[in-house]
Amino acid sequence: MAVKKPVSVTIRTYAVGFGDCFLLSFQYPGQEKHVLVDFGSTAVPKDAPKNQLLLIAKDIAAVTGGKLHGLVATHRHADHISGFATNAKGTAPGDIIRALKPDVVVQPWTEDPKAQQKAKKATQTVQSGPAKLRALAALEGMHEVARAAEAAGKSLREVVGEQVAGQLSFIGEDNVKNLSAVKNLMGMSKRAYVNAGSKSGLERVLPGVKIHVLGPPTLEQTETIKQQRSRDDDEFWQFWRRQGLATTSALSQGKALFPRDVATVTPPSLRWFRKRLGSVYGDELLQLVTMLDNAMNNTSVILLFEAGTKRLLFPGDAQIENWEYALSQPKNQKLLAGTTLYKVGHHGSLNATPKNLLWPLFKNKSKTKSAKRLLTLLSTREDKHGHIETDTEVPRSTLLKELKSKSTLLSTLDYRKNELCRLTVVKF
Amino acid sequence: MARARSRRAAPVTFAEPRIRTLTVLGQDPSLADRDGVVTVRIEIPCERLAPGPQGARFHVVDCDASTQTLYRPANIAGPDAFVTVTDAERLVASRAFHAQNVYGIAMETLGCFEKALGRRVPWSIPGGSLDHAGNGRGHVLKIAPHAFSAANAYYSRRDEGLLFGYFPSQARQSARSPKTIFTCLSRDVVAHETSHAVLDGLHPRYTDPSSRDQAAFHEGFADIVALLSAFRHERVVKAAFQDERDWISSTALTAERLRRTVLAGLAEQLGDELGQVRGNPLRSSASIEPNPGLYRSDEYRQPHKRGELLVAAVMNAFLGVWLQRLRPLQGKDGKQAIARERVVEEGAEAAGHVLTMAIRALDYAPPVDLDFPDYLTALLTADHEVYPDDSKYEYRKALVKWFGSYGISPVQSPNSPEPGMWSPPTRPVSYRRNHFESLTHNLDEAFHFVWENRDPLELHSEAFTYVPSVNRCVRVDRDGFTVQEIIIQYVQILGVQARELRRLNVRAPEGMAPSQNLTLYGGGVLVLDEFGRLKFHVGSDIKGPSQTERLQCLWAHGYFQEKRQAQRRFAELHRARAMGSTRFLEEGW
Repeated sequence: MAVKKPVSVTIRTYAVGFGDCFLLSFQYPGQEKHVLVDFGSTAVPKDAPKNQLLLIAKDIAAVTGGKLHGLVATHRHADHISGFATNAKGTAPGDIIRALKPDVVVQPWTEDPKAQQKAKKATQTVQSGPAKLRALAALEGMHEVARAAEAAGKSLREVVGEQVAGQLSFIGEDNVKNLSAVKNLMGMSKRAYVNAGSKSGLERVLPGVKIHVLGPPTLEQTETIKQQRSRDDDEFWQFWRRQGLATTSALSQGKALFPRDVATVTPPSLRWFRKRLGSVYGDELLQLVTMLDNAMNNTSVILLFEAGTKRLLFPGDAQIENWEYALSQPKNQKLLAGTTLYKVGHHGSLNATPKNLLWPLFKNKSKTKSAKRLLTLLSTREDKHGHIETDTEVPRSTLLKELKSKSTLLSTLDYRKNELCRLTVVKF
Repeated sequence: MARARSRRAAPVTFAEPRIRTLTVLGQDPSLADRDGVVTVRIEIPCERLAPGPQGARFHVVDCDASTQTLYRPANIAGPDAFVTVTDAERLVASRAFHAQNVYGIAMETLGCFEKALGRRVPWSIPGGSLDHAGNGRGHVLKIAPHAFSAANAYYSRRDEGLLFGYFPSQARQSARSPKTIFTCLSRDVVAHETSHAVLDGLHPRYTDPSSRDQAAFHEGFADIVALLSAFRHERVVKAAFQDERDWISSTALTAERLRRTVLAGLAEQLGDELGQVRGNPLRSSASIEPNPGLYRSDEYRQPHKRGELLVAAVMNAFLGVWLQRLRPLQGKDGKQAIARERVVEEGAEAAGHVLTMAIRALDYAPPVDLDFPDYLTALLTADHEVYPDDSKYEYRKALVKWFGSYGISPVQSPNSPEPGMWSPPTRPVSYRRNHFESLTHNLDEAFHFVWENRDPLELHSEAFTYVPSVNRCVRVDRDGFTVQEIIIQYVQILGVQARELRRLNVRAPEGMAPSQNLTLYGGGVLVLDEFGRLKFHVGSDIKGPSQTERLQCLWAHGYFQEKRQAQRRFAELHRARAMGSTRFLEEGW
């Protein structure tokens, strides 16, 4: 019997604001198969109603006819999974998605809950246990940092200043473990925890489509491309465990270390320095939480869907540290060269479309319009992340200019008021 | 207007002590020997000490931003209250001891520099905290021993202080492991951060974005000072010596054995938990096997890794000298055992000398765009000026050998008195329009000298030029007489566009827009002898191949794409070391 093959795919890019939500509907003869890639937002579009995510969930339910075949949660950031959160009444967007009963839920290996249970044990015995388990334990530390940063954004507003406090809250909130969404994802049907080179778990639901998992690499895979083995197997992960403990202990307890020695007044000569220390601490937290944000982005699942001669690339928010392993292999470079459609990484941030290692590979880039011209999808919102004064604004203007110049760009920034999604059709 | 009051000066009293003795931790609270926690009695210059403690150079301000707490100033001006304490927990629980420890070690580290250079060392902090003028030079550096809850500690010029974090221990609780890890209680961390501050005072432009070597130098140099200064304290070295016997056999006295015993022992002392603040510098550096390809390798491109090469070269050279000093004590057949006390003493002597060399070299190093070959050449030249004969313990020979083993060679100077040294100036300079006495201390006089001699000094005529410092340093010569040197630094700054680089013999990085605005830096140090004659001119050219290399490095690291200024760069650097992370700025948009 001939293998069924899809003839085309329709991609719906939903207007979630600062976040991602893509519905891929593969058209097979007489049938459609639907795969949802991420559903989250940390700031809905400026003129959108507050229940925007609910409207989107309902639209997804309607388009799919009540059945999802696959669901991909690329990583744990709220702007990618907050739409999966449920409520007690069962009326939240996550409840609607759950009712679509996806056949398989794809997540990065770092989300494997079985490993995580053991990881708690590993947290107490730092010196032993597989690196993977320690890494998972560190994820808990990362959430602690995020929670502390978010709290600091509120409680230390006067000390750290308005701007830093605002950024702390925004990035902190994005990284805080979204318990309801995570639980919901864990409770949905069969799950596949993937890493670079593994099967995606979507093969069964998408016949005739090759799905390449290009990231995230496991720690062992990362080691293979390092010029020198890390001196300490998991310096990186230990760092987060430590920072998690440090930030939470001070902020959650808020107690003075030496309560009997506390001064009641600040002498004039020390006021400048005391104020300065507040700003130092704000920056310290902000740098930590930004590093954390990047680290979490790098747990993103990178998927390349291949059907016929077309290739669709969905990298979540992966940055170079995630990409590095996949790009070190010539066969992947060859695959990526033929990319037809690229979902722009991390909402167009400065470092999620590797400028020298990835972007030059796409051979379908072109300054002139043609049928073969690279398609790019950008889901983002301005004024939420980074600052133009520091060249860190999202979306980054230089990248946006390049995307407009060398690809056919679909950007949610161009949506009309109340426009819920736009469609992109790729024929195989 | 009120009339100024006149007061009679108090009579000088010879009862005022010149030296203050303080108890501080040998390493950190976890290091103990048979007598309890390892503390040492350090001798630092005595000064009028207000509560804080607050002196002429440091002011301990105990303020915690995480809990928004200010603590009362500690008073340690009286007799040392911790001389007899052997219980680590008592020391950890005492906030006054924290203040004493951090003040004592900071003063001791500053003292190492001042003794080696024979002069007061300035800070480069603005000192404008009261009127926000920020245009002066501050005299007092603040120290916050419990600045915030974070596993980090750093020097910040902008915030005018040394900031020490604290964090909860991850180790299981036991009698010896405290619940909270205080970075201010680590001798290594305090000495390291103080060294950053002192180096910044001596060479403020070493924190400028420049070559890979310059970015790595600050961190590597601070490690060297922190590690070598540990050898000043015999109790610490004894504790590191993993051999309790009173006599050490000759078979145990090889470079490899010392590396595995003493250096590894010291690395262990730095502890897993405190070591995590910025990694374990000694453990990392001591394990780097010699390989001349490392200096040019990709593996050591990142500043926090590259600095380890510097540490490895100096620490291995130190071990070589230490063994050289022990050789005469091993008898003619080289097989006699040596008393442990003596081995430790010789180690302290060798470490002290290498540390002094490392610090003195700063006076012979260019004020901008430093690289490791420059520093090695400065090390050799500075030492030669005081000790022309190196044959007894072969300090310079050991340094050349070990730097070379990692691929770092001194600058080749054709007319140098000894290979690897700076050459004396080839073109004569004029002194006719200068006044010697004024030249020894006056910035304008020094600039005048630079101006008059800009041709023989080969300065760029269009660049903005200034003299940031003139210092007179006094050293004791081998004949017992004092030797005076005058050290004049000058800096040149030239703003150009990329399209103008070609006429400066500088190649623009590939892909850089012709309209890209750039700032080029050059500069040099002029070393004048006790008669005011120019002995050495060590310069870093504002044009030519070295600028090409610098621009390539900055371009590759995304400096021109990145407006963000690392105002607290040491905080970032330490985090990168702790995480063993790599940055990929070149992949950003």
